[in-house]
Amino acid sequence: MKSKTSLFVAGTMLVNGLLISQLTHAAKVEFWTAQTQTDRLQNIELLASTFEALNDGVTVKVVAVDENEMATQMAAAVAAGTTPQLIEVNSEIIMALGEEGIVDTKTHQGVIKDIGKSRFHKGALTTLASPSGEYYGLPYHGFIQGIWYRKDWFDEKGLAAPNTWENIETAAKELTDKANNQYGILIGTKQDSYTEQVFTQLALSNNASEFDAKGNLVFNSPATLETIKYYKELSKYNPPGPQNWRARDYYLQGKMGMFFYSTYIMDDLALAEVAKGSLSSANFKELSGGTFDPELVKNTAFAPIITHKSAASYGTLSGLVALKTKSAENTKATKDFIEFMYDPASYITFLHMAPGGMNPMLKGIAEDPAYLEDPNGVFKLYGADKMKQIVSGFDDIRSFSVVEGKTFPASGAIFAKSVIPRMIYSVTIEGKDPQAALDDAEAEMKAIMGE
Amino acid sequence: MSSVLIKNESRLGLKLVAPAVGIIGLLVIYPILFNIYLSFFDVQLNGTKTFVGMENYTDLLGNPRYYHSIGVSVIYLIGTVIGTTVLGLAAAILMNQEFRFRNLARGLILLPYFAPVISVVFGWQFIFDPVNGIYNHVVVDVLHLTDTRENLIGNPDSALFVVIVFDIWKHFPIAYLLFLAKLQSVPKDLYEAAAIDGQNAWGRFWHVTLPELRFVIATVVLLRVIWNLNRFEDVYLLAPNVETLPIFTYYQAFAGIVDQGVAAAISVIQLLVLVGLIWLYVRKVLKW
Repeated sequence: MKSKTSLFVAGTMLVNGLLISQLTHAAKVEFWTAQTQTDRLQNIELLASTFEALNDGVTVKVVAVDENEMATQMAAAVAAGTTPQLIEVNSEIIMALGEEGIVDTKTHQGVIKDIGKSRFHKGALTTLASPSGEYYGLPYHGFIQGIWYRKDWFDEKGLAAPNTWENIETAAKELTDKANNQYGILIGTKQDSYTEQVFTQLALSNNASEFDAKGNLVFNSPATLETIKYYKELSKYNPPGPQNWRARDYYLQGKMGMFFYSTYIMDDLALAEVAKGSLSSANFKELSGGTFDPELVKNTAFAPIITHKSAASYGTLSGLVALKTKSAENTKATKDFIEFMYDPASYITFLHMAPGGMNPMLKGIAEDPAYLEDPNGVFKLYGADKMKQIVSGFDDIRSFSVVEGKTFPASGAIFAKSVIPRMIYSVTIEGKDPQAALDDAEAEMKAIMGE
Repeated sequence: MSSVLIKNESRLGLKLVAPAVGIIGLLVIYPILFNIYLSFFDVQLNGTKTFVGMENYTDLLGNPRYYHSIGVSVIYLIGTVIGTTVLGLAAAILMNQEFRFRNLARGLILLPYFAPVISVVFGWQFIFDPVNGIYNHVVVDVLHLTDTRENLIGNPDSALFVVIVFDIWKHFPIAYLLFLAKLQSVPKDLYEAAAIDGQNAWGRFWHVTLPELRFVIATVVLLRVIWNLNRFEDVYLLAPNVETLPIFTYYQAFAGIVDQGVAAAISVIQLLVLVGLIWLYVRKVLKW
């Protein structure tokens, strides 16, 4: 009996030993993604399974982590020694993690070398670069913001595209007819992040900023003041009262000439077209004569870059970040997986989860016929040229938090406390003096920074 | 009864009361004490606490937005408490009369109170939408009362009054319900006696109804003050730019980075004010 037990134990140990040795040789990629919606996760799981099928002995584990939780979860994982191999998250968090020294910049360098640096949109790559020129992450997808406008109205009135301060103001004035319930533009005047996004793009085009390259607060400047005054001027052509992004509906109803919005609007504009195809007045007589404008998609143009003292586009991008790991196999598998994710077939599958909202960071993808064939037919309506123009905005993408490749965490805290939107609200809605509002905002920023 | 028995009984009494005392202590007393304790610290999300003494309080008392929010809260309280009480009383007196479909009308009056806040708020936002709302359509396009469209909910000058009207409309049914219950128990002969004394309708209301309702009115006012000083959801959902005390607390403490120390300080002050107000009210107005 005793010998039988020993044999059993020895056998088990042998089998376990073999299994363990097998496992230690198998590579693992734990991939945390900020895409938490079920349909998107299924899509990413599909990509992971495909990669597993193509790469023997590699396991990819997809974990969904809410974007707001990513920093805390990462801190906990690092402390517990269970850091994932790869994460996908927005640029602000990427820069913060990069400063913590847990990012595998060598793998990023390798991927950029393999793919070719020139294939990435320049501005997108710079956003994720450290002060010493390393890459804290690889840009993967992003949205950009700009002015969407009624091309047909502009043509009719002989207006120039709204890509400079003068053009925007002229068009806003020209297209506003309050007596007939028609408005020239939508800019944010509520105390929320949309307001900050719109203001940021205009401020950047005027070379105004929150910080200088040394991290000094330089918000209270003539350039910022000028931007606030200009913003107040534009707000005259807004629909009445404080407004946020929801007022975009007035554009869809044909009551507004221009509006600031991200590329996430694209499927909204296009899906209305799709809806019209199935619910035309031919089948549903009662629908004819409604306010829906079937020509809206065709009549809409996009100005992603605004130029005043310099050219500025505004956007947020998400990147892939490889994290430092002790296992060479895991590092290799992670690099392979990242490159697989940049392969046009898998890249396009990923981007089609939110057509227009998620835009490619590699040049050429936007013109790829496969990319333009999204399941909902969104891109067909825009056409290759328009897509190319839209993603070209990523060459000039800038934000307040990153100055010359250096990120300033205080900018995040200032953003979170809505200092800028409250300043805009007080000027545009409460009629506060711009300089007084700017002084107050600066004082608040200093308080947040603990000065 | 022997002294042993008395002792045993009192011991049993203590045992029976203990769970209730324990639960109240755990769920009410402990959070209040912990809140007071927290208000003297700079609290970080990871649990780190740095003692800052009275700094949270001095910061708060030096913040002009805090005083502004107190002013807004006072206007909101006066407007809503008077509004709901008067409207509730009027509705109750009306619904106490005999008429056809009275039961149906009594039920319908309660509807605003039953409706979920979120759906009602969206309804109001649609009504007052500056571009598509029915209010502007009627005022500007149909009746031509003004030339310009107004954003009544968004405009800071009118938003507070919209919020007050909303609260009165939404919450007067609870006042109405309490008044109606009491009105139904007022003896008819009191009114008859008053009529014989030559009192008209107004006199009967003044000399019979009001004195009979006195304590119910006082209770309604007390409840409404407590509720509305703490009311967050109605105001925040309808017009987030109306900064009453709870909204101010939210912006200070929970928007963006959570500032638990400051939030604790605000709620401690609010608790003290509320306790003081209620004490005064109970002693002087209710004379309990």
